[in-house]
Amino acid sequence: MKIRNLTKKYDENVVVDSANFEIPQGKILSLIGPNGAGKSTVMGMISRLIARDAGIIDFDGKDISRWKDRELSKRLAILTQQNSIQMRLTVRELVAFGRFPYSGSHLNEEDQAIIDRSIKYMELEEMEHCFIDELSGGQRQRAYIAMVIAQDTDYVLLDEPTNNLDIYHASNMMKMVRKLCDELGKTVVLVLHEINYAAFYSDYICAFVGGKIEKIGTVNEVMTKENLYEIYNVDFEIMEIEGKPLSIYY
Amino acid sequence: MISFIKNHTLTLALLPVLVILSFTSLFVGVIDVTPASLFSGDQETVLIFFASRVPRLLALLCTGTGMSVAGLIMQQLCANKFVSPTTGATISSSQLGILLAMLFMPASTLWGRALFAFLFAILGTWTFVFFIMKIQFKDVVMVPLVGIMFGNIISGITTFLAFKFEMTQALTSWLTGHFSSVIRGRYEIVYLVVPLVIIAFMFSSYFNIVGMGKDFSKNLGVHYKGVLFTGLTIAAVITASIVVVVGSISYIGLIVPNVVAMYKGDNIKGTLFDVALFGSLFVVACDMVGRVLIAPFELPIELIVGVVGSVLFIGLLFYRLKHGNRAIRRVRQRGEATT
Amino acid sequence: MILQKEQGRKIAVLSILVAAAAISYMLINVDFGNTRFFHYSMRIRTPKLITMFIVSFAIGSAAIVFQTLVNNTIVTPCLLGMDALYTMLHTAVVFFAGTGSILVLNRRLAFGVDILLMGLIGTFIYDFLFRKTKHNILYVLLIGTVMSSLFGSLQSVMTRVMDPNDYDALLATLVASFSNMNSQIIWAAVVLLAGVMIFLRRDIALLDIIALGKDQAINLGVDYNRSIRRLLLGVTLYIAIATAMVGPLAFMGLITANLSRKFFKTYKHSYLIMGSALFGMMMLIGGEIMVQQIFAYNIPISVFITVAGGLYFLYLLLTQKKA
Repeated sequence: MKIRNLTKKYDENVVVDSANFEIPQGKILSLIGPNGAGKSTVMGMISRLIARDAGIIDFDGKDISRWKDRELSKRLAILTQQNSIQMRLTVRELVAFGRFPYSGSHLNEEDQAIIDRSIKYMELEEMEHCFIDELSGGQRQRAYIAMVIAQDTDYVLLDEPTNNLDIYHASNMMKMVRKLCDELGKTVVLVLHEINYAAFYSDYICAFVGGKIEKIGTVNEVMTKENLYEIYNVDFEIMEIEGKPLSIYY
Repeated sequence: MISFIKNHTLTLALLPVLVILSFTSLFVGVIDVTPASLFSGDQETVLIFFASRVPRLLALLCTGTGMSVAGLIMQQLCANKFVSPTTGATISSSQLGILLAMLFMPASTLWGRALFAFLFAILGTWTFVFFIMKIQFKDVVMVPLVGIMFGNIISGITTFLAFKFEMTQALTSWLTGHFSSVIRGRYEIVYLVVPLVIIAFMFSSYFNIVGMGKDFSKNLGVHYKGVLFTGLTIAAVITASIVVVVGSISYIGLIVPNVVAMYKGDNIKGTLFDVALFGSLFVVACDMVGRVLIAPFELPIELIVGVVGSVLFIGLLFYRLKHGNRAIRRVRQRGEATT
Repeated sequence: MILQKEQGRKIAVLSILVAAAAISYMLINVDFGNTRFFHYSMRIRTPKLITMFIVSFAIGSAAIVFQTLVNNTIVTPCLLGMDALYTMLHTAVVFFAGTGSILVLNRRLAFGVDILLMGLIGTFIYDFLFRKTKHNILYVLLIGTVMSSLFGSLQSVMTRVMDPNDYDALLATLVASFSNMNSQIIWAAVVLLAGVMIFLRRDIALLDIIALGKDQAINLGVDYNRSIRRLLLGVTLYIAIATAMVGPLAFMGLITANLSRKFFKTYKHSYLIMGSALFGMMMLIGGEIMVQQIFAYNIPISVFITVAGGLYFLYLLLTQKKA
């Protein structure tokens, strides 16, 4: 996926200013940056949730707006932060929605098998008939990821998947994301607040400041003292753990 | 002198307009009454003038002042710009009171009905405010929403009773406010507004303090509950005395204080006079429209106010959504600063 | 699978209750001995019963669909003044065409014109309302309530301007009510209800997905904005049908839709819609029997629905979790 000159304005405020980057296939790319830097907006635009004002989003040789909705939803899945469902829905029913792009509301044997597999993959078998609104935040997030797995797309976009999770569930979530990439071969794009999760679990980092791309590259290229100072305006120390650069700030 | 004019531009603009409009209003009607015929001493003209036109104008002025000041008091006390006799169940409670008076004391005079209306208006308003204070809504918009619904339920009960005892015809006159039945000897209750507004004026600083909250008032040695309920009682009695005479007049208590606040900012000190002026102007103008539109017939003022008021209120809500709680003047300044 | 069976049983129970109510409505106080009277009461009651079925279905399903569109269960189209809008548009047509025009005399033709206007103007107004408030539900509700009273005032103004002397009589011919049902348009209404349903069948099938919220629906490949607009059009037309037949019924949809959601506890719209319609039928028919038997036709059923619905609305508003 190639992004060219992507721009978004609200009234006269330029939120995203001609961003250019590519999403490396089969890898994890994390979008980081301070609040209001435009990272979630970029995510929204490349997943067609938000209309863009200018630029090209080239997905497999065709601009994303020229894809058919159904076809695109077989290739690209997005999970945003706001998933307020006011209805009574069991985990299995939610995951089954992931098969909608393929079979509509009439699921066949194959769909059922895929749903079973996704539920198992996210270790949700025990609660598959529980209602979503009775689950904890971490469980609910896993149920949504299971739906995305059932959707069986090459690309998975996750907007702050660790938001509202405690440390235990958040790090488990990140391990899960890593597995999605390593075991299932998916291309994953994340918006993350916590830079150390980005550093430890992703392959590439793209840092936004004020709607512009400040730094982009592999984890090791971006995670330096000088770069982080430019991005966040705070002094950092970089430490190496398990061969990954982690940052300390105070 | 210059600073006086600067601080009172609104007042100075409103006052002459109100005087001119009121004067015109005296000479609008089915039977021609002109200043010339009046001064020539024509018997019939003089009679119409003093038995119908003058009472009507006085009732209009009292209504405009009363409703808008009642709204202002309620908004100050509850510290919520969307509370008013319309959105606080005051009007519908007084209607229920009037109906009950007609049911239980068929021979009751206007004063008897007024007493019932006072009682129910006070009870209804107290209940509503007690309720919203108890719940402490996160969003200010919840308050008018609950208030309107609360009012709807009370109106529903009123309609039920009216149907049950076949009083719907008698009640209609109090449901849609109109000034056509205001003549000498049948409207004087509305004068109650005058002393009540004066009392409200004297206590306005207390209302301000109470609006800042319970702890704030305690700190300044103001008896919170006492002032709160006194203020609400004044607003309720003002409203009820108007409803008894002319019927329901919605939106004025809601719109007028908000429009004035948009120009003068949220500094409430000194807006009471402007609110009263603007309220009177609004009512006199709406009444004139109602009298001219299908002359020789007359549209009840409630309909004109209902159309104009609800359009203004919707505009106000959209404005608030966009700009939050800022006064127009400040928004304009900001606009100039950025462009 | 077991769940599905259980839902089927619930539908069956509701249907039996509705059938029982319908039969008792038809047969209460009927003089079987006298065939003339028997035929007479049947001729009066049958169209009334059918009208109640149609109205319940229209309001019940419109309320469920609308709640899903705006992703909130305390909002219904009539709370936002859609019924008042219809009444106003109808009056406006008569106002501009004149009281003697064919649009007043031929109810079916008038109905057709009203429906057309309602589809255009209603969709525009409510689409605008949601976009402008950015789906802030409390503002939507408050503005809707105020719009409702605005439409009411405008309608009264037009009626009074048309005929200041005979205001009450004119109002009664313009606005349908339970004591003055507009049964002449039964066939037109049935055709329209079915037509809208066929026209929107694809979008209706998407409701389960739309209920997941905008982001999820788009993610799963739904052309969200298009579906929303089409369904909104359907809702306005359904409300128009119901209002044309029995006049405004502000709280009915709120009550039946929420009862259905609580009773079926599912996201499947086929059940929710059926349930909402069935609850509506029970409410209307039961209410009508009560009005006949206890209050001897004195009190219109809409008065009860207003009081009960208002209390229920306050209850829902105050107990909702995230305001």
